[in-house]
Amino acid sequence: MITLENVSKAYTKKNKIVKDVSLAVKPGEFVSIVGQSGAGKTTLVRLLIGEELADEGRVLVGDWDITKISSREVPFLRRQIGVIFQDFKLLPKKTLQENVSFALEVCGAGAAKIKKIVPSVLKIVGLEDKARRYPHEVSGGEQQRAAIARALVHQPKILLADEPTGNLDAINADEIINLLLRINRFGTTVILVTHNKEIVNRLNKRVVTMEQGRVISDQAHGKYLL
Amino acid sequence: MLSLYRIIKFSLQDIFRNIWLTIVTITILLLALFSINTLITVRLISDSTVAAVKEKIDISLFIKNETPEEEILALRGKILESARVKEVVYVSKDEAIGNFREKYANNPAILAALKELGRNPLSPSLTVMPVDFNESNLVINELKILDSPIIESRDFSDNTVILQKINAITDRVNEVGIFIISIFILTSLLVVYNAIRVAIYTHRQEIEIMRLVGASNFFIYFPYLFSALVYSLISVLIIIGIFYPFLSLLQPYLEAFLVDSQVGLLAYYIDNFLIIFGAQFLVVLVINALASLFAVRKYAKI
Repeated sequence: MITLENVSKAYTKKNKIVKDVSLAVKPGEFVSIVGQSGAGKTTLVRLLIGEELADEGRVLVGDWDITKISSREVPFLRRQIGVIFQDFKLLPKKTLQENVSFALEVCGAGAAKIKKIVPSVLKIVGLEDKARRYPHEVSGGEQQRAAIARALVHQPKILLADEPTGNLDAINADEIINLLLRINRFGTTVILVTHNKEIVNRLNKRVVTMEQGRVISDQAHGKYLL
Repeated sequence: MLSLYRIIKFSLQDIFRNIWLTIVTITILLLALFSINTLITVRLISDSTVAAVKEKIDISLFIKNETPEEEILALRGKILESARVKEVVYVSKDEAIGNFREKYANNPAILAALKELGRNPLSPSLTVMPVDFNESNLVINELKILDSPIIESRDFSDNTVILQKINAITDRVNEVGIFIISIFILTSLLVVYNAIRVAIYTHRQEIEIMRLVGASNFFIYFPYLFSALVYSLISVLIIIGIFYPFLSLLQPYLEAFLVDSQVGLLAYYIDNFLIIFGAQFLVVLVINALASLFAVRKYAKI
């Protein structure tokens, strides 16, 4: 599903953020990528969604070789990968339902498809009753759930979650992780980038640990090492 | 069709949900357009004023008293043969005295002196109107060498100097005017360009999200281009709504200032409606669209 072969990325000549990373993620896996701030976790996510291009090595996502991807192909890649972020990235002037529909509308999906998919994903994340509210009218956890719903509308094979619980309290964080586990059970590959030790240890799933841009550990049922 | 509908929907949603930003952007466009239209009006008034002053300059030939009318008309015909002459107005003795009495109707002393004289002291005359007032000197030169026994005197000795001065002032005003207008238009356009960039800056998060959810370039750029079209259209329509009453108010003052002169500001704007406002709409639209394209491109590079 995802393969990284000796991938390196630097923003300045002297400062390599990602150094010679090799990694393979199988379809349906749940992988946590952990590490301290500046370890290169977020850069890895940016490399996977084509937001950054690798300086060295190859990044393969499904059938796409992202190191050779053209700017015209990027939108199509992003429809295959759902992404959620710590700051939710919802549009403040649109309701939760409009935020979710928006992802389909801008990709040219038909009205009938939108009418069918949007209520069902809102139901999956438990927001069917708050669909007409604006982001500032709901809690952080609910905003993150709306972001997950938006990421799911394309029925992606991969869901990238970059510090999705970073802005949430423990209860809301648990709810989001449970939701990600449920999505994973449906067959979606989930990559969770986090530095939350308790969450990673509770998951008992594969853990990739990064330090100073390198992968220093890759355990099938790992714990938070650092 | 569906895509077009969505682009219009996103654009209108954005315009109404960010109503203050919309109002500020349109106000800046309006100020720029008002400045440009004011400059056009000032230019029009100055041109009309200069033309009115030039028309006041008489190029007249005074004919000897008792000359038969057919000889005067023959001379008129001869002058009209010149390609530089637009019209020659024959003013008979009787018309001249009539005009004189009308002109000094409020001056009893002059009218009393005329009555005292007991006869019509004025001569018949031919007033020559050049095709182009800037070529008055050439017409005067032609009239100076015109040989006819019925001409009593020629009244254009001082006109050459006056015309030279007026032409010099007009040329100077045109040079300075074009420079000021250019600077003003350029400043207005830069302000508009910047206003649109600021408006799009506030949408940078939205553009970033569009990119992240896999929106095509068409969906990212076109709502903003459509908004640019709406802003341009609304601002030009409002400026039309503001400017026509403004011109109607100005017209009587202008007519009073330039007596006997045909200065139709409103008529000029109506006659040249498409050129004036169509051009303004196109220029504003192009600037808006370019600013939108460059600004969106900056934030869509994710």
